Amino acid sequence: MVIQIVLLGGLVLFSAAAILFRDLLKAAISLAFASLFLGILFFLMKAPYVGAFEISVVAGLITVLFIVTIALTKMEGNVRESRAALWIFPIFFALFLIIDIAVMKSLVGKIPAVESAPESGTFGQALWGLRTFDLVGQIGVILAGVFAVLALFRKRRKDE
Amino acid sequence: MAFWFIALPLVVAGLLPLVGKVSKKVLPDILTNLVFVVLLAMAVSQGRGLIAQGPAVFDLSWFGEPLNASLTMDAFSLLMLATISLVSLLISLFSIDYMDHYGSKATFYALFLIMVAGMNGLVLVTDLFQIYLFLEVAAVASYALVAYGLEHDELEASFKYLMLSAAASAFILLSIAVLFGLTGSLSFAGVAAGLKTLEAKFAVGLCSAFFILGFGLKAALVPFHAWLPDAHPSAPAPISAALSGLLIKVSGVYALTRVFISVFGLTPVLSTVLMYLGVISMVVAALLALGQKDFKRMLAYSSISQVGYIVLGIGLGTPLGILGGLFHLVNHALAKSLLFLNSGSVQMSTGTRNLQEMGGLGKRMPVTAGTTIVGSLAIAGVPPLNGFWSKLIIILALVQAGQWAFALVAVLASVLTLWYYLLIQRQAFFGKLNEKWASVREAPFWMTASTVVLALLCVALGIFFSLTVKSWIEPAADALASGVRAVLAGLGMINFVI
Repeated sequence: MVIQIVLLGGLVLFSAAAILFRDLLKAAISLAFASLFLGILFFLMKAPYVGAFEISVVAGLITVLFIVTIALTKMEGNVRESRAALWIFPIFFALFLIIDIAVMKSLVGKIPAVESAPESGTFGQALWGLRTFDLVGQIGVILAGVFAVLALFRKRRKDE
Repeated sequence: MAFWFIALPLVVAGLLPLVGKVSKKVLPDILTNLVFVVLLAMAVSQGRGLIAQGPAVFDLSWFGEPLNASLTMDAFSLLMLATISLVSLLISLFSIDYMDHYGSKATFYALFLIMVAGMNGLVLVTDLFQIYLFLEVAAVASYALVAYGLEHDELEASFKYLMLSAAASAFILLSIAVLFGLTGSLSFAGVAAGLKTLEAKFAVGLCSAFFILGFGLKAALVPFHAWLPDAHPSAPAPISAALSGLLIKVSGVYALTRVFISVFGLTPVLSTVLMYLGVISMVVAALLALGQKDFKRMLAYSSISQVGYIVLGIGLGTPLGILGGLFHLVNHALAKSLLFLNSGSVQMSTGTRNLQEMGGLGKRMPVTAGTTIVGSLAIAGVPPLNGFWSKLIIILALVQAGQWAFALVAVLASVLTLWYYLLIQRQAFFGKLNEKWASVREAPFWMTASTVVLALLCVALGIFFSLTVKSWIEPAADALASGVRAVLAGLGMINFVI
């Protein structure tokens, strides 16, 4: 229980940091940590499917894409960023919590509990055995992301 | 065989950067077009034979070891695969000349191939999470393609599209998660079977609402359409054609139809909601199109309006309604791709998309003008072109179902459609030639060749509509209306191991 609370706290903390950091690199790394905590939580809650995807895709591959993209951008000193996120985010977060609690309260008891065997197996079994074909989709998303970076950061020709 | 529809474009996309190092233009052109020729040949020559006895299931294996993965092809997915391959081939032929001035052709083709792989994957899977995955494959590639020109407007349109599309994906994913929680399964069959035994109307209603919101956004149905009039005109013309002609239909209409007819079952309430969404999109977008001065923006609003017709037909849920909806889906894919490609030819020759600056271009660009007339009349529903028959079938289905008010609105919206398409003709191609365009020339060979083929297809599908409907559309509509139960129950399916 203590471990779960620590992980949940870390998840919220790093998620908030990902939004509030003005440095994109720090924001991307915070997001990766948040995903890692979420992935571990999924494993602890006996959901290796989701844990495997969360860690492999969000914490791993997406972070690599973010960092590659950030590395391709240049620092522009004169860009003025809005500080609205500093006050909009807490308001949005509070609103979300209120709505979330209200919706969950109305759903509890109305959604019947599913009688399913607890998911078992290791990371490998979840990824390679049960959801094999999802890997093709993941490869597609990653390829699309890589080519998107290549397309958006390509050098324009002189005659354009 | 079905796996190649996903694997071939993905593999070639991965190889294109290397090919691009050897040859910047010619090899990427040849390789990409060859992929679409192969896919089209497979869909047309082998597909129908494979599903002649009913839906075919392809179990995947890896060096003889069976994998826990399969793809399903029925007449509906085959119709979509053939449409995607045909339109993509013609768009890719058009791109040979058109994309020359954008630079980095290999990257462009790679993204286009990935988008097509995503669409092909989406129509072949029977698992809700995989629907989401392939939706994202196509979407991520399309965000980059919309911004491909790298100008301010394109980047802004792409960002807007990304934000709204991400919201749509979030709703779809949330709904999938709730369904997984309710039924313990992600496959169409498992979820459909689970829902039959459940007494959870509130939760199922919530999932349906989220799916309508998500897929409605992807299909750009009014009131979820805000992103499309920016994104589609901003993209390079071949991508506008692919987005309007294919992507909104596959990631919006196809996914919506599959989920609601194959998984949930079309209830009277759902049917009414879809019909109202369809009719509102049809009328509102047609009225908005009338006020546009930008050629491509007018076409974008027209896409929303025509998707309204498709959703109206499918939402009606009768065999004739579904038939009309599917036929209009194919017809609109051809005609709208043709019109967007022609708008690209005009923009490339004149440098503008403003209809008021054009005038008399028909004298300088006779092929473009001629094919634009064919595309416009086809979408407006003028006989004997393909759009006439599909609209007629939808209207007849509405009348047959006693939905007179919807039928009347569909006829009136068609008149509005004809009106704004005649405006395009008058402002861009007819009248006195604007002196500015005295030196304008007809578009290059591959651009005109692909639009001529699309125009001929619009005419041919209209003249041979009976043959087209019997051989392609009717089996697809039957697969949706009745064969779906066979897919769900796992009965009467032929298994292939690949």
